[in-house]
Order: sequence, then C-alpha cells, then structure tokens
Amino acid sequence: MKKYIAERLGTAFVTILVIIFVLFAMMQFMPGSPFNDEKLSRELIEKLNEKYGLNQPLYVQFFKYVKNVAKFDFGISYVINKNISINLMLKTRVPTSMRIGLQAVSVGAVIGLLLGIIAALKHNTFWDNLTTVISVLGVSVPSYVFALLMLYTFAYRLGWFPLLYTKTEPFRSSLLPTFALSMFTIASIARFTRTEMLEVLDSDYMLLVESKGISGPALIFRHALRNALIPIVTVLGPLVVGLMTGSLVVEKIFSIPGMGALMTAAIQANDYNVTIAMTYIYSVMYIIIMLVVDLLYGVIDPRIRLAKEDSGE
Amino acid sequence: MNKYQIASDNFDMDSIEFLPNDFEFIGNKPEEHIDSNFASQDYWKDVFIRFKKNKGAVIGFILLVFITIMAVIGPMVSGYTFDQQKIEFQDFAPRVPGLEKIGVFDGSEVMRSPGGGSSRVINKYKTTEGAADVYYWFGTDNLGRDIWTRTWMGTRISLIIAVSAVLIDMAIGMSYGLIAGYFGGWVDNIMQRVLEVVNSIPTLVIVTLLMLVFKPGLFTIILALMVSGWVGMSRIARAQMLKLKEQEFVLASRTFGAGSWHIIFSEVLPNIIGQIITNTMFSIPNAIFTEAFLSFVGLGIPAPQASLGSLISSGYNSFTTHPYQILPPLIVLALLMLCCNMVADGLRDALDPKMAQM
Repeated sequence: MKKYIAERLGTAFVTILVIIFVLFAMMQFMPGSPFNDEKLSRELIEKLNEKYGLNQPLYVQFFKYVKNVAKFDFGISYVINKNISINLMLKTRVPTSMRIGLQAVSVGAVIGLLLGIIAALKHNTFWDNLTTVISVLGVSVPSYVFALLMLYTFAYRLGWFPLLYTKTEPFRSSLLPTFALSMFTIASIARFTRTEMLEVLDSDYMLLVESKGISGPALIFRHALRNALIPIVTVLGPLVVGLMTGSLVVEKIFSIPGMGALMTAAIQANDYNVTIAMTYIYSVMYIIIMLVVDLLYGVIDPRIRLAKEDSGE
Repeated sequence: MNKYQIASDNFDMDSIEFLPNDFEFIGNKPEEHIDSNFASQDYWKDVFIRFKKNKGAVIGFILLVFITIMAVIGPMVSGYTFDQQKIEFQDFAPRVPGLEKIGVFDGSEVMRSPGGGSSRVINKYKTTEGAADVYYWFGTDNLGRDIWTRTWMGTRISLIIAVSAVLIDMAIGMSYGLIAGYFGGWVDNIMQRVLEVVNSIPTLVIVTLLMLVFKPGLFTIILALMVSGWVGMSRIARAQMLKLKEQEFVLASRTFGAGSWHIIFSEVLPNIIGQIITNTMFSIPNAIFTEAFLSFVGLGIPAPQASLGSLISSGYNSFTTHPYQILPPLIVLALLMLCCNMVADGLRDALDPKMAQM
C-alpha cells in the first residue's frame, strides 16, 4: 500500500510538472511581447525586460515560473480587469464556485442514492422504470440544456426564482444552477446505486442477514447499502469532471461570478494570463481529486489494495 | 453373439436384446444432424436478434438514422442556404404551410414581460413587407438566416466532428492498448506511465490549450477531441489483450510461426471487436457534447459555419424573447446524445450478453 501511495503521488507530481512545462512553452509561443507600445524606446524595452527578468536564459525563466506557479502566483490580468492581480480576482470567485459545486454534489448524491435504492427495492416497477428514464436522460442530456430549460420555465415564465445570480439572495438564486449541475450526478449515482444494490440484495450474505430476522431500514442501510456504496467511489472522478465542465457553462448562463465564468470570459476575451492561470488551477484540482479518489478506493476496498500489492503496482 | 448386444460390468446387457426394428431411420441429410436452435447461427446474426429485442435501442437507432438523413438532405430542401442573410426578415417565428391553418406554426409569436405579466401576440410575416408568402419552418435568427437550414447544417458538422474524432480515437487507442498489453514488461510500463500522465490532465485543459495555439475550426476541434479521447479505448484494449494473450489460440498461432503483428491484429483484435464497437458508440455522444460545449464557450466553429453548440450559443442570447431560436438545435442535440447512448446500451447488451444489466 505504501508503495502504491508513493507511486500515485509521484505520478501526480510529474503530471503537474508536465502541465507547468506545457503552459510555460505556450507562453513562449504566444505572439507578441508584453511591451508592444510603439512609444517605448529600445533602451526602455531593454530596461523593462531586465526588470521583469525577460532577458535571462529560458531555463532561468522557467524555474522562476515554476516557483511562482507553485505559490499560486499568476501575475495580473491584461484584458478583463486591467492590471488587477489574478489572485485578487479569484478571492471572491473560488468560494462562490465551491459553494455551488458542493451544493450540486450533495443534492445529486442524496437524490441519486434515494432513487437508486427505491429502484432496486421496487425492481421492475414504475419507480424502477422512472429511475432508468431519469438516469438515461441525466447522463445523455448536457447540463446546460437543463439549465436553459429551467431558467426559461421557472425563472422567466413562472417567476419563482430570480433570472440571474444575485449577491443579495445568494441561496435562492443558486437553486436553479445547483439543480442544473446536479442532474448528471443524480443520474450517474442513481444508475450505479441501482445496479450495485440489486447485486448486493441478491447475494448470499443478505439471505443470511434476513434469515437471522433483521428487516426494514436496518437491513437496507446497515447491511445492503454499506456494501453497495463501495464501488460508487469510482464514479466520483467522472462526476468531478462533469461538474467542472458543467460549471463553465452553467455559471455563464446564470451569470454567477465564479471560476467557470471567469475562465469562459478569459477564453472569449483572449486574456491569456487568466486562461493559463485557470487552466492550471483546474488541472491541480482535478489531479488532487483523482488522487484522493484512487487512494480512498484502495483504503475502502481491501480487494483492490491486495491486488495492487500482489502485482506490485 | 448378437451384434446389437453390449456388455457392461454393472448392468447385464445380455438380457436385453435389441432388434433392428427398435430403431427408426430418420434420414441422412447432414443438416438434420445440426442443432438448428443455436449452432447454425453465426455470432453477428445472434447479435442482431438480441439488439432487435431491445426496444429502446431500436427506437434510438431509427431516430439516429432519421437525424443523420436530415443532416444530409435537410439543408437542401428548404430553399435557403445556411449563410444567406436577410436583415429585414430577422427574428421571424416558425411558419409551416398547412399547419398554419390550424393555428400552430403560423408565424405568430407571443411577446412577454418577465414573470408572466403582460403579453401580446405579433406576427412579423403580416407586418413585414413582402413576407406574406414566405415560409421559415423553424423561423429565422437575428440576422434573418433560416434556422431549419442552419440546424441541419449544424447537425451535419457536429456529426462529422464527432464521428471522425471517435474513429481516429478508436484506431489510436486500440493500437496503443493492444501493443502495450501484448508486449508487456518495460514496454507496457513506459506506455502506462505516459497514459497516466495524459489521463491526469483534464480534457477541458487539453482542449482549451490546443484551441488557443491553433486557429479555431473543424480540424482543431477534431484534433482536440482526438488528443483527449483515446485513453479509455486503450485501457479496454489493453485489459482484453492481457486476458486473451494467454489463451491457446494465441499459442497455436505462435507455434505456427506467426509474428507479433499478425497475432495482435489478426488473431486477438477480431475477438475483442465487440467491446471496441460498444466503446466507440459510447464515445460519440461524449464527442458531440464536448464539441457543443466548446462552441458554447466560444472555442468552436467560426461563423458563418454553424455547429449545434454554436447555434445554441447564439440562440441563448435571445432565448427569453425568441425561444424558438434555441429550441431546434437544443432538441436535436439532446435527441442525438440520447439516441447514441441508447444504441450503445443496446449494442453492449447484444454483443456481450454477460454484460447485460439486471
């Protein structure tokens, strides 16, 4: 297990380095220089280059870049908010995105689990079919389609919710985006829970538990669900990816001042510095979550752990 | 001794006498000896029969064929081209001949204030000069372009992007996985490490970076989808190869002197083609979605070309006032992804009955 953790950490570290390297290389390939003003004289440009360390050899610049990026210091935005440091822009955006992301995950997990359990217990009934339909729809239909439909129906036509995200009503105006984002989570968790629960309910040890006289909620939650939950950890990775891409579009639709909206704006405004910073942050988040999921899976399921030790992976 | 008598240790067969008329001759045509229930059917016929039984998959397949046909002929039948602009005919609601008589799709639309307050019905076909005999089946967008033509044009481009990206993905991922699995050892080790690194970079990031470096367009989107999409396929191919390469038919082939290349692509590949097809089918909706997502974010096909994503993106700007502009591409996109998923589900169950979900 220790060897596995070390290797997994190593891969994550190498990946982050590769990403930093690619980002640095991209900066070099970008057309133009930061000092494009025609009024600048040659000496002045040289002075500026010296001030910002741009006249140093590439490898020195690269190490400096690595050092800055490792400290999450990305410099300033050139287009969206002129000369404002990116960290300052992120300060309010990260909590907003995190809050809505967490809301979406919790709503999705609770509803998905409930649907999955009901479908498995009432196998081949109306509820089961309903769950299948919901999960097929949720997996197949992109979250922004849901976002637009909900926005039109509930916010525009019925007027139950505010059209756009407002800071004065942070909870009520985040309900629609939360549901739009959580559709994918609901669908995949419901689908997975259903399959796993069916398998567990069919197993010999459930027969044993039942024959010992345990029934009702204790049977379902203490014995069945616990075993069914283990493989659900594997869907966490894809869910995170779904949330990340989903947030980019959903935040734009509801004009939520979050990280996704910032990245979308940066891409559209050609603000390279912000795009690259967001790219890096998203990558690091993704790598950390995948790492946690992988390790968690090893901890939860002894079979995986043992298999990994045997094969020396 | 009678020739029909059989000797046995624990059963006295001598006491039973078989007579020639105990048996009945039923003919000697060779096909009558074959179990007609299973043996004479080949694998693909079996697959077809199983696929046909899955109603959802069949409906999905029919819809998918329909959408594909519309993507080919749709833009030709309306009489408009996808980039033809008529600024005086902007934001026209759908109007369909025949249907307009029963009061739907008659070119009128309801202008509402938010929250369902006041509303009034307008019909631009009647108020605009020279539009009395004009029909836009899905309406027009804010530049007066025909949405019907643009929707099917967009479907065509989305399909081209998705299918070509997925096919290239399949070829790369399959070869990568098969080679890594077959050779094993340090080759596999190095290839797996590379794959892990590629896999740890989110697709979103790869795609964004590629789109920043290259000019947005058809080729760049396909490239971006390609770079990020082959990992899943290669995992499946590798796992199958690891399972199959220890089997006797591979050993037999090797004993006859077959080279690695032949074993990988002529012996093992045909045995895993089922999983490969299923996975390819599952990748298509993913590719369609990624493309639509990129277009929505602004990294898609440049105007006046359109894909489903860019149509949704432009319809989004006015979807509260003119919802008919966003609905056609939105519905086609959702249907397309739904159908692909249902067909893929059906294919998976049909190709490998053991995998069928409970």
